[in-house]
Amino acid sequence: MTVRVALIGNPNVGKSVIFNNLVPGARQHVGNWPGKTVEKKTGKYRYNGEEYDLVDLPGCYSLTARAVDELVSRTYILEEKPDVVVNIVDASNVERNLYLTLLLIELEANIVVALNQMDVAKSKGYTIRTERLSSRLGVPVVETIATQKVGMEKLKKVIETAAKSPKPASMTYPSDIEGLIEKLVTILSADTSLVTHHPARWLAIKIIERDKEVLEMIQGTPLDSKIEEVFA
Amino acid sequence: MNRVRTVLGDDPEITFAEKRYTMISGILEECLTKTETGMTFSDKLDKVLLNKYLGIPIFLILVWALFQFSIEASGVFMVIIETALVTVGEFFGTLLAGNEIAASLVQDGIFGGFAFILPFLAPIFLMFLGIAWLEDSGYFARAAFVMDKLLRKLGVHGKTFIPMMLGFGCNIPAIMACRSIEGEKDRMISILSNPYISCGARLPVYVLFAAAFFPGFEGSVIFLMYMLGLAVAIFTAWLLRKTFFKGEPEPFIMELPIYRVPTLRESVLHMWERGVVFLKKAGTWLFLGAIILWFMSAFGPAGYLGTDPDVSVSYTGILGGLIQPIFAPLGFDWRLGAALIFAFLAKEIAVESLGIIFAVEGNVAIGGALAGVFSPATAAAFMIFILLYIPCIAAVGTIKSETNSWKWTLFSIVYSIIIAYVIAAIAFVLLSAIGLGVIGGA
Repeated sequence: MTVRVALIGNPNVGKSVIFNNLVPGARQHVGNWPGKTVEKKTGKYRYNGEEYDLVDLPGCYSLTARAVDELVSRTYILEEKPDVVVNIVDASNVERNLYLTLLLIELEANIVVALNQMDVAKSKGYTIRTERLSSRLGVPVVETIATQKVGMEKLKKVIETAAKSPKPASMTYPSDIEGLIEKLVTILSADTSLVTHHPARWLAIKIIERDKEVLEMIQGTPLDSKIEEVFA
Repeated sequence: MNRVRTVLGDDPEITFAEKRYTMISGILEECLTKTETGMTFSDKLDKVLLNKYLGIPIFLILVWALFQFSIEASGVFMVIIETALVTVGEFFGTLLAGNEIAASLVQDGIFGGFAFILPFLAPIFLMFLGIAWLEDSGYFARAAFVMDKLLRKLGVHGKTFIPMMLGFGCNIPAIMACRSIEGEKDRMISILSNPYISCGARLPVYVLFAAAFFPGFEGSVIFLMYMLGLAVAIFTAWLLRKTFFKGEPEPFIMELPIYRVPTLRESVLHMWERGVVFLKKAGTWLFLGAIILWFMSAFGPAGYLGTDPDVSVSYTGILGGLIQPIFAPLGFDWRLGAALIFAFLAKEIAVESLGIIFAVEGNVAIGGALAGVFSPATAAAFMIFILLYIPCIAAVGTIKSETNSWKWTLFSIVYSIIIAYVIAAIAFVLLSAIGLGVIGGA
C-alpha cells in the first residue's frame, strides 16, 4: 500500500526544501519567487518498508475559490483525499501561518504540522511550546530546520504514525457561529451524495462565507430553499 | 442564493477570517513567548539594500558584478572547450582530406559554425549560476521591491519586474510568468514589454562582438546592453500605459523572504535547469541549423562555390543582400544582414551563421576578421539591433498564446523592429561622432 502525502504551506516557508529533503534526488528548484510552485510536483520516498507518494501543493495563504492556486490545493485535498497532509508552518511567522492550518482543520484533513525555520524563530527571540501547540490544535507538530535537514527523520516517523491512525482534528468556533454551522449541517446531511464527498461542517462554513464554488454546488438543489430559511 | 443574508454582516468572509485570527491569538497566548532581540541581520541588511537612495545604485552594481563575473570566470572554460574542439576538428579534417565538399561541411559548417557557438555556453552557464545565487539569497525579491517605486512613477506595476528578471534567463518562461499578474491591463503591459529584456541567447553575440571591438571592457559593454534592454522594456511599459492600456496599476503587495546563504547544490541545480535548455537547443536546432547554413553559404545558384569562395554570391549572400540596403546607413554588410534573418529562429544563430560565413570564406580567427570588416560603431549598432528586434520565433509563439491576439503579436513584432532600428541608429551616430565609426579604429 502506498501512502499518499500532500505538502502545503504559505509561500517562502521552505516547503520546496522539505520536498527535496524527503524525496531523494528531487529535481526541484528552491527559489524565492512568491508562488514559485505553480505546478504540481510529485515524488516518492521509502520509509520503514512503506512507499510514500509526495505531492507538493502550490504555496498559498488561504483556500478560497478566487485564486487558481488556492482552488487547486483545496480541490486536491477534497477530491484526492491524501492520507496525510503535511502543513509546513513558518515558526518565525506562526500567527499568519496558522490561518491556513485552521482552514485545513476545517477541511478535516489528516494533518501533520511541520514547524519549520525554528532557527529563524529562535534568532527572532521566539519560544514556542510545541507540545502545547500540538494539543491545542489537536494535530501532531514536528519541529524542523529544513535547510539543515534537522527533524526530517522525526517528520517521516510522524507521517507514518498519522497515516496508520488518522485522527482528523476539529475546531470549535464561538457559539453564535457554531449554532449556525450546526443548523446548516443538519440540512446538508439530507443530501448524502454531497456530504460523502465534502465534509458537512466545511460546506456549512463555506456557505456562511458565501464561497462561490460551494454556493454553485448547492444552487438548484432542494437544499437551496431550506438553507435560505436559516438565514431569513 | 444571492438573496442569502447573513448574521455576519456585509462581508461574512472577512468576519469569519477575524474569528479565526482571534482563535489563533488565543492559542498563541499559551504557546508563544516573544523576547525582544532588536533588529535581525536580515532587517539590518534591508535597511541598506532597500534604502530610498541606495537601493537602485546597489542593484545596478550587483548586476554589473554579475556580468563581470560571468565574463571573467568563463574565459578559461571557453579556451578549454575551444582547444578540445579544434583538436577534434583537425582530426576529422585529415580524415576527410580527400573529399573537398565533405571536408568543407565538417570543417566550416560543423566546426566553424556549430562548434564555434559551444564555448559561449560557458558564460551563459556562469551567468545563470550568478542569477541563481542572487535569486536564492533572497535578493531578487528585493530588487522587484526597489524597482517598484521607480516603475510606479511611470504607471507600471511593480510585479512586472519579476518576469523581467526571469527574462535574463529566457523570455519564454518569463512571458508565461506574467500569468501571475492579476490585472488584465497590467498583464498585457508585462507581456509586451518583456521581449526587450536580454535573454541568455543574446549573450554569445555580445561576448563575440565585445571581445572583438571593445577588448578590456567586455563586462561593462555587456552590462550596458542588459541595462539598455531593461530601459527599453520599462519605456515600452510606460508607453503602453499612456496609450493603449490607460489606468492606474493595481496595488502591489509582496512578501520579502529572509536572506540566506544559498547552498552550492541548490545554485548549481538551478543553473543547470535554466542552462540545459541551451544545451538541448545546441544539440538539436543549432546542429541542424549549422548544416543548412553551411549549405546555403557554400552553395549558390551556380552550385558549389569551391575553396575559400566569395560567399556573397551564395544563397546566404543573396538573402543577406536583400535586406542589407535597409541597414547600409549603419554600416551593416550582407553578412550581418544574413545573420539578422537567421537569428529570428534563435538569437545565438547570429553567432553561428557569422562563424560559418567566415569559415567558408577561409577565415579562422573570426574576432579579427570581424574587426577588419566593421567599425566599432557598426558592431554596437548590430548588438543593439540583435538585443531589441523581434525575439526568437518561439518567443513570438509564446506572445501569441499568452495574449491570445494576433493583433498584439503583430504589434510586438513591428514595434520591436522600429525601436531596434531607431536606437541602433542613434548609437551608430553618437559613436561615429566620437571617432568610433572607422573600421579597425577601436
